[in-house]
Amino acid sequence: MEELSWGSIIARVFVQFWPVWIGMIVVFAVSIKFKRRLGLYGKMFDSTIGMVGFAIVLFWFFTAIFANQIAMYDPLQISSGMKNKVPGSPLADGTGYYLLGGDSLSRDVFSRMVMGAREVLIIAPAATLFAFMVGITLGLPAGYFGGKLDTFLSFLANLVLAFPVILLFYLLVTPEIVETGIPKYLAAVLFLFPIIFLTILLNSRFFVQPKKRNIYLAITIVVGFWIYLGLAWNADPLNIISMQPNILIVFVSVVFVNSPTVFRIVRGLTLDIKTRDYVAAGQTRGEGPWYIMLWEILPNARGPLIVDFCLRIGYTTILLGTLGFFGLGVSPDSPDWGSTINEGRRLLSIYPHPALVPAIALMSLVLGLNLLADGLREESLRD
Amino acid sequence: MSTPYDGPILEISNLSISFFTRLREIPAVMDFSCTVMPGEAMGLVGESGCGKSTVALGVMQDLGVNGRVVGGTIKFKGRDLNTMSQEELRKIRGSEIAMIYQEPMASLNPAMKIGKQLMEVPMIHEGTSESEAYKLALQVVTDVKLPDPDRILKAYPHQLSGGQQQRIVIAMALMSKPSLLILDEPTTALDVTVEAGIVELVKDLGKKYGTSMLFISHNLGLILETCDRLCVMYSGEAVETGSIHDVFDVMQHPYTQALFRSIPLPGADKNASPLVAIPGNFPLPHERPPGCNFGPRCDYFEKGRCDAQEIPMLSVPGNDRHQTRCIKFQEIDWHAPLKAKKTFEKAKPGKVVLKMENLKKYYEVSGGSMFGGGDAKVVKANETLSFEARESETLAIVGESGCGKSTFAKVLMGLETATSGKILLYGQDIQDTPIEQRSTETVSGVQMVFQNPFDTLNPSSTVGRQIIRALEIFGEGNSDAERKERMLELLDLVKLPREFADRMPRQLSGGQKQRVGIARAFSGGAKIVIADEPVSALDVSVQAAVTDLLMEIQRKNKTTLLFISHDLSIVRYLADRVMVMYLGHVVELGTTDQVFSPPYHPYTEALLSAVPIADTRVKKKRIVLEGDIPSAMNPPPGCPFQTRCRWKSQVPGDLCETVMPPMVTLDSGHQVKCHLSAEQFASMEPVIEIAAE
Repeated sequence: MEELSWGSIIARVFVQFWPVWIGMIVVFAVSIKFKRRLGLYGKMFDSTIGMVGFAIVLFWFFTAIFANQIAMYDPLQISSGMKNKVPGSPLADGTGYYLLGGDSLSRDVFSRMVMGAREVLIIAPAATLFAFMVGITLGLPAGYFGGKLDTFLSFLANLVLAFPVILLFYLLVTPEIVETGIPKYLAAVLFLFPIIFLTILLNSRFFVQPKKRNIYLAITIVVGFWIYLGLAWNADPLNIISMQPNILIVFVSVVFVNSPTVFRIVRGLTLDIKTRDYVAAGQTRGEGPWYIMLWEILPNARGPLIVDFCLRIGYTTILLGTLGFFGLGVSPDSPDWGSTINEGRRLLSIYPHPALVPAIALMSLVLGLNLLADGLREESLRD
Repeated sequence: MSTPYDGPILEISNLSISFFTRLREIPAVMDFSCTVMPGEAMGLVGESGCGKSTVALGVMQDLGVNGRVVGGTIKFKGRDLNTMSQEELRKIRGSEIAMIYQEPMASLNPAMKIGKQLMEVPMIHEGTSESEAYKLALQVVTDVKLPDPDRILKAYPHQLSGGQQQRIVIAMALMSKPSLLILDEPTTALDVTVEAGIVELVKDLGKKYGTSMLFISHNLGLILETCDRLCVMYSGEAVETGSIHDVFDVMQHPYTQALFRSIPLPGADKNASPLVAIPGNFPLPHERPPGCNFGPRCDYFEKGRCDAQEIPMLSVPGNDRHQTRCIKFQEIDWHAPLKAKKTFEKAKPGKVVLKMENLKKYYEVSGGSMFGGGDAKVVKANETLSFEARESETLAIVGESGCGKSTFAKVLMGLETATSGKILLYGQDIQDTPIEQRSTETVSGVQMVFQNPFDTLNPSSTVGRQIIRALEIFGEGNSDAERKERMLELLDLVKLPREFADRMPRQLSGGQKQRVGIARAFSGGAKIVIADEPVSALDVSVQAAVTDLLMEIQRKNKTTLLFISHDLSIVRYLADRVMVMYLGHVVELGTTDQVFSPPYHPYTEALLSAVPIADTRVKKKRIVLEGDIPSAMNPPPGCPFQTRCRWKSQVPGDLCETVMPPMVTLDSGHQVKCHLSAEQFASMEPVIEIAAE
């Protein structure tokens, strides 16, 4: 078989992404049709920047979902004779092509990039969500009560922020440190926050209706602890939920370095919103502090938090890339973008494509998230 | 720099301004015409959203990205501002037309010294030298009656008080000797006594410099005091324009008439002659009715005539440039008395429900929080507060910002505990019980209505949900269905349609939000309600309706209403007893009649004189207080009011400066905290007199 020309490579890649295009068209058509009823999300479709950003993010989102359909080969499959082959090279047995070439271990760069999207898009949003839970649960009381609690928590946050991030990562993943169990205990503490958050959230609102409260709380605590045991201690009694230990460490590190920033944002917003009359109205009817924080203050801080959430997924993606690049955390042959770039780095001057493809993927996702955040911020300020 | 010109300074004809949003074009001003002659002060009055500020911004050609002039002309000294280039406009703005905004701090650069900001004006526009500019700045600062001009010029904006800042903004506007001064609600952010000073200043300066003025305000009383002519606006249109006397005394438009009937003028009384609120709501810009905009709310509305065509401005024969946008103005009998006037029995105050004895609240403000350095300072927010309030009585608490009325409310609600003294609620001590330890009954029995309607409701939760939450907390109702029913009843009580339960607060107008706030306060059957300036942020026509609603609920529930306000007109209208506070002290306490007629406490006297009254028959004595309210952190020794008191010289020796005056009982229940002797009290003259017609 002949080597493919660039035109036909692009055409074939385009066709390969067909489930993604269908998904994007459906989402865009529905959203634009009903954009007036969709609040801030709908407003975003008035901003070109926001739409471009959303399209890029949506592209990677669907890529992650349909990765099995899009990828042409197993990301670990080695085909003989494909080592460092240029994009568009046919397989030796003539059954197909490596659309974006082969890497130094004769694996398909395109399939690895597609499967890598899945790795990144699972860890980054989940880690960001956890960081937000931790930041919110600590930031609200710090801003609301102020005083010594605030001084103490802010000091802790500044301490974490002042520590060099990469060094912190190296420390957390060093085998000696892992042996002491520090990352594990850190995970045990950090993963507790979502449960605490949800429990307080529901209790503060429903304590006036004990029956409802008990049902909600029972569900939260049982499900929460089941997931907690699985994720943090790898001790799920039903053996359904688990997390590889090295992924767990990456996850914990990312949450750990991101939550202080979220803490500071939430604390600042709380300081502002707590002076409003509806907060005073809550206080004068004898509402508890947690109800005021979680049901009166937090919903009104959502605008800036949503924007920051988008930006932060971008940072987290880069962080994961950095971690992967240093070979930290994820398993060595994992197709995630950071590790792939690191592998391709060695032969960069001769065969640039194995490193370039994941690098462009990473860059475009982060760019998309930043544009999306920009669009959301701009549109939330307009009427 | 004004160039000599003797035609009209500003001539706006058939001006239309629209804002373009992503959904539609919103016409903000339609077919607006007015003329300002040299040296004339023109008032623009109307409720919020009527387009009065948009007119001002149109004159400045500063409508932002969404706004555009879609028709008509704005001529300044005969030149059309709409066709000028940015370059030409820049030359005019700030030198020939100057504008003064509501919030003084927002108009001053916080990082620049006052002197430098003032000197910039002539240096940029006329290229004067620095030393000349400094001389001019010094003179103008003296003109706006600021003490110690040299020091002021070297100060940064944050080192001055709000009143002083506004004076600086006025000085800055005057630096270039403009021909036209636009004042957009220049005193709304200030206290009444400070406002009186600014108004006096603006009037004097207008005379001295011969500047024409466009004075925008929602306050008819203020317009009466400052302007020669006025233009009443409603929903984007001018509805009536003419000289102050024509419009105030022989008004020719139903909206103007309704407006005057809804403001508490002297003589109005909550029982004998209650206010008449304008029915209905202000139409949204894209939901304006055909024909007359005021039609749906007008008593004289005639179907097929008022809504048949666009209503033009018609001249009223016989008066000077008096025009009205009403086609029926010659048929309406403007002097007909109000039909079907409701009157009420005066409610008898019952037993004492709330009693305060020598209540004190001090705050400690420490220097540096983290390392505990600096001296701890004590803010004396409340000093020896003693009074009692009875069932179904309205006790008004009057005072300017910083007088301690909000602190008092916090202590009563239990958000703070008292430093010393007693609060007895139904004979029970509650001064040391913070709100978490109070029983649900006590908490639901003492509730509060807040000042700012845009802040009183949580913007991310529906109206119904917020009332239901209060019901849940107060333990009302046994099931969700019961509470829902109770919530709908509460909406009925505050006269809101039941569909509002599912609305978000942003879909409600200010008055409607305030009604929801009232419903929420009464959800647990409150016996004592603290209303913290509940209507001061509302438009006048809405104020009357909300006030009436409060009165009605009070009559029904026998509630004790503690009405905190700085607006003496409304206090006179609805209060049974009045308590005047200054710097944490009660300076006067008595029935409404006792407080509003002599003898007064010197502070009450100044306060009464400061409140603008929209009635041409009222003769007021001008008493303008010097200076600002002292800081509560550092109160003056002796009498708290001695730094601004005009009677101080009448007290022998330095008694006022050294000794805190005792509470003197003048009449039964009329107490005044002052050193003046009985004869001096007797010699006081009334501040407000209504001239006989």
